[in-house]
This record gives sequence, C-alpha cells and structure tokens, in this order.
Amino acid sequence: MTEQPTIRILLVDDEETLLEFLSKRLLKQGYTVKATFSGEEAVKVAQDAHFDVAVVDLKMPGIDGVETQKRLRQIQPFLQCIVLTGHGSIETALESGQQEAFQYMLKPVDYDNLIISIQKAYEKKMKLQNQEFKEKVAAITTSGMGAHGIRKAISELHKIYGIE
Amino acid sequence: MESNNSLQTELKRVKQELAGYKIELHQTRGYLQSILQSSEDIIFATEVGGMLISFSKGGEKVLGYTWEELVGRDIKDLAENPLLFKEFMSSSLQGGVTTHLDLPFRHKEGKSIYCNVTLINLTNREGQRVGTVGVCRDITLWKKLQEDLVQIDRLAEIGRLAAGVAHEINNPLAIIGEASGWAGMVINDAKGLTAEDRSELEKAVKEISGQTKRCRNITHQLLDFARRSEPEKTEFDVHTLLKESVGFLKPELKHTSIEIDFDFMPGPLLMRSDPRLLEQVFVNFITNAIHAIKKAEKDKGLIEIKTLRTDSKAEISFKDNGVGIPPENQQKIFDLFYTTKPPGKGTGLGLPICQNIIKKIGGEISFHSEVGVGTSFTINVPLV
Repeated sequence: MTEQPTIRILLVDDEETLLEFLSKRLLKQGYTVKATFSGEEAVKVAQDAHFDVAVVDLKMPGIDGVETQKRLRQIQPFLQCIVLTGHGSIETALESGQQEAFQYMLKPVDYDNLIISIQKAYEKKMKLQNQEFKEKVAAITTSGMGAHGIRKAISELHKIYGIE
Repeated sequence: MESNNSLQTELKRVKQELAGYKIELHQTRGYLQSILQSSEDIIFATEVGGMLISFSKGGEKVLGYTWEELVGRDIKDLAENPLLFKEFMSSSLQGGVTTHLDLPFRHKEGKSIYCNVTLINLTNREGQRVGTVGVCRDITLWKKLQEDLVQIDRLAEIGRLAAGVAHEINNPLAIIGEASGWAGMVINDAKGLTAEDRSELEKAVKEISGQTKRCRNITHQLLDFARRSEPEKTEFDVHTLLKESVGFLKPELKHTSIEIDFDFMPGPLLMRSDPRLLEQVFVNFITNAIHAIKKAEKDKGLIEIKTLRTDSKAEISFKDNGVGIPPENQQKIFDLFYTTKPPGKGTGLGLPICQNIIKKIGGEISFHSEVGVGTSFTINVPLV
C-alpha cells in the first residue's frame, strides 16, 4: 500500500450522464470509482468489492437512496454514505435514515464541497475500522491460539475489513 | 259668545298638543342628530337632483371634506365614477331601498374609498319623491385585506409552479456543471494547444462553471421561496455581515468607479435573527444599487450603507445615486417576475424574495426614489 491510499468510491445515481462526468473527474484525481445506476446494482456490486465511501442519490426508481445505503451498510458496516437530496427532501430523508448516512448534501452538489465530504467520510471510516480492527486483533492475539491459528484468523480479518 | 268660548278652549287644547309635538319632534331630532354625529358611516341626504342637503360627521372624516366644502355640491361628483353613481342612483328610484356592495368614492386627497352604499328614496305625504338618503360604509380596509389574500394565494401558486420548474432544472444543471469541470481537467492536461487557445478554452470553461453556479443559486432561491421554512435564530453582527455581503460583490464592483461608504453606528450591531436570509437581502440590495448606478452612467457612483439601532430594531439603509425608479413603476417593484432589465438579465425575483424574507423575520422594507437622483431602501428588523 502507498502512503496515501486511494479512496474507493461507489457512485449510485440513475442520472447516467451525470455519473459519467463525475466519475471521470474523480478518476482523474486518483480516486478508485465504480459507477452504478440503481440501488439494486449498487448492492450487488458491494457484495464483491469493498468501498470506503458511497455517494447515493436519494430519489431513484427502484429502491431509494435511504434504503440503498441501509443495505450497503449491512454488507459493509464501515462504509460511509453521502446522500444527495433534492430541495425540501432533506427533512424526510433525515426522518427515515438519520443515524445511517454520513452526510446529506443538496443537489446539484458543488464538486469541491463533495470532495471535502468524501475525504471526511473516508477519515471517519478509517478511524472506526482501525479501532475495531485493532480490538479484534488484540482479541485474537490474547485468545491463546497458536501462531498458525493467529495468522489465519488475521488474514480472515483482512478479508472482512476489505484490507488487501 | 259661547261659540267664542269653545273656540278659545279648542285653541288652548291645540296649543298644548302642539307644544307636546314640538318636544317630541325636538327629542326625535336630537336622537337623529346624535346618530348622524357619532356614526362612522357616510350618511347624506340630497334633494331630487342629487344636490347635498346634509352630510354626517363620519362622512366628513371618511372623505376628508368639511360640510362647508360640500354644501350644494352634487353627491355623484364625490364618487370615483360619477356616471356609474348616477346610474346606480336612478336605478334605485324604482325600489324604495337599494344597496350596492362596492362603490368607490374619491377622498379629498385623491385616494379611493370603497363603500358599501345603501340608498333610500325620500317621499312626501303625497308619495312624491323629494330626495335621497344614503348610508355608506367604508370597506376600503376590508377590501385591501381581501386583495392581499388573493395576492398571497397567487404568490403561493406561482411559488409552487416555480419550485416545480426549478426542481426539474436542477438535474440538467448538475450535468452541465460536471461536464464543464471535466472539460477543464481535459484542457489542463491537453498537449499541442497554443497558449492562446488554452487560455481561451480555460476562460470559456470557467464561464460555464460560473454561470452554472449562478443558475443553481437561482433555483435554490426559488425553492427556498416556495418552501417558506422557518427562519433560524443565531446571534451575529450586522456590520460584519454587511461587509461580507459587499465582499461577495467584489467581482461586480471591479472595473467600476463605484465607491461603497459604510456609515455604521459605533461598535457592533448585534442581533438574533437569520444571518443567511439577511445576507441574501443585503446582497440583493447592493446588487440592485450597482445596476442602478451603471445604468445612470455617472462618473462617480456612490453606495451608502447606513446602520442605526433603536430600542428594539435595527435600521439598515442602502442609498445609491443611480437612475432612480419612475413613480409609475414604484408600486410594481415588489411584484413577482416584474423586472426592467432586458430578458435574461433579471429574474424579477429579487425584491419579492427580499420582501418575503424580511416579513418572515418580522421586519419591514421601505424605499424612496427619485429619477435621476437615486434610490434608498431601508429595512427595519427586530433585534431579537
């Protein structure tokens, strides 16, 4: 791993043209980006690949943004979600999923502000993840299993936490 | 002799009776007089032709005339539309009592006084018409309230419509913003561009991004306007906020000879209100002032921003030496979508939104304008 790890971003929005340009910009700036065009697709993708931050549109056909981020977090508990909302829907969004999302942002979102939020979301994710990872590692090393068992358990942990 | 005696008795009896009637008449007149003197309504009487022969104190107050000024004048000339009033009067001749719900009179100073008018035919014992009595109730205030309600209703409807449009425009706007951001990155990395082409392209892309942001601000403003969310309350210094608002407009002020003069009361002007909303109002007034000065094409533009504090209110005024607002346009400036700017330059939303905001936070806007001299807008907002 490099000193500045690339942030893995999952984009979810039914507005395909918007995602096309947004992902091109993010990729160019060195982020790892996966664009998906529905909540269902995003959930499917998240089963195979790990992400740090998801940017999810609130209003989509099929499962909406709030539901999508709930399901994403069931698969990857440390994933931080930024939910993009139209005007006036922030209140409804807050009611339905306040504790879940990292942040709600008003659409159309300003690119620079989005980058700032993504960075902050990433920091939060790493902090939470490292903390729990350390606790788990500590639990394994003090569990009294042999060197081989420890190595195996830790490699298992790596997989769970999406650390390659 | 005897007949003479009985005649005497008869005369005495009649005299007594007459005195009784006189007292009764006196009482009745006093009663009627006290009604006429104390009623707030316009109560008048005319002879057959419409010439005034009596006019109540209330009427004098409502229309601003004294009885001396009115005596002998034709009642129809007090109406805003004398022909219409005459028509109504003649139509009332058929029935004994007729009412018109909404007939305007003209106040001495020129303004319209809307009245609910009831006319009653005066007849003598032979049943001949000898004149008209009218009772008119001033309903101007009520009518104004009614018009306000209609206006508010219409505003809400337009607001909803505009919000719908703004909502739909947001998505394409987001795409334009992202596409131009991407184009900027591509240009940045492109090889084989001459320095001149590069700078042209960079300028163009920057313009697209900037204008997209501007559109986004408009849609957000519109949506804010339609949503009427409750204003927040935080403590802040009006002076700092005013300076920041002017700071936002630096690009607009560049390449102009406009000077901004801060005439602040000493010390900070602290208040508890919604700084975000107030800032929007400040920026709007300053922008309008800049445009008015540019339009006047004066050598030296001056915008004076003045603050004052009374016991419970802050008074903030913006005075420019721009073109001024012609009198005929002055009552339209707060109308939604009213603008004198060329198509595409003004939305006609600025001032109505300002008024909406100031009302929302419990304040008032007033203005004074003279063509060729300039305009000053003053807002009064409660400190808490």
